[in-house]
Amino acid sequence: MTKKASVADTATPKRAGTDPLGANTEIGRKLKQYYDDLVSDEIPDRFASLLAQLEDARPQSKKD
Amino acid sequence: MAVSAEFKADLLRAIPSLRAFAMSLSQNGDKADDLVQETLVKAWDKHQSFQLGTNLKAWLFTILRNEFYSQMRKRGREVQDSDGLMTARMAVHPSQHGQLDLKDFRAALEQLPEDQREAIILIGASGFSYEEAAEICDCAVGTIKSRVSRARTRLQDILQISGEAEFGPDAISSQVMGSSAA
Repeated sequence: MTKKASVADTATPKRAGTDPLGANTEIGRKLKQYYDDLVSDEIPDRFASLLAQLEDARPQSKKD
Repeated sequence: MAVSAEFKADLLRAIPSLRAFAMSLSQNGDKADDLVQETLVKAWDKHQSFQLGTNLKAWLFTILRNEFYSQMRKRGREVQDSDGLMTARMAVHPSQHGQLDLKDFRAALEQLPEDQREAIILIGASGFSYEEAAEICDCAVGTIKSRVSRARTRLQDILQISGEAEFGPDAISSQVMGSSAA
């Protein structure tokens, strides 16, 4: 058995068995795999610098 | 009121999920990152309208989704680019016995209409409840449920998976409990 720590065997879903998209369905598993793959993508630096820019540009904006 | 450091840290933490959702919606890396960028700028500007203690991720997903649809309206449906269409036309066959690979699944997902795709992603992958997903998509809970169910059926069709969850938890337990359940 390969140790892959997949969602399927680690997390026990709250509604195990009845969840139509749960870890015991092929669609449910693939969906999570597809999404986890995207989530674990490396984050481009542009976002951190964007937030830094926003912080510099509007330190005390809009006091109403 | 200045944007708090905590809010900024929360935004940073949300970026991986936002990108994943943006990719799922737009099916295009560049557009996805533009969407995330727009979302962060809007969230920053509107941070005062975010109610502390409520779900920041859901709030951000709502902004991103609105941005996606408003861009799509502006561009007039060219969002489904030629690459996407090519992939969508390719036939999808499970590569080994019942074990589809991720590429097949991605191609199948692309064939879904946006409303079904976003619903099944929000519920089946992003971890939102039906209520939260309904709020994000600005529709009724029942609508989300039926979109998810149609998406699932459609994916099963495309990927030629039999309706595994339709009849019970899984194959083994239905064998065990099968005939006695009436």
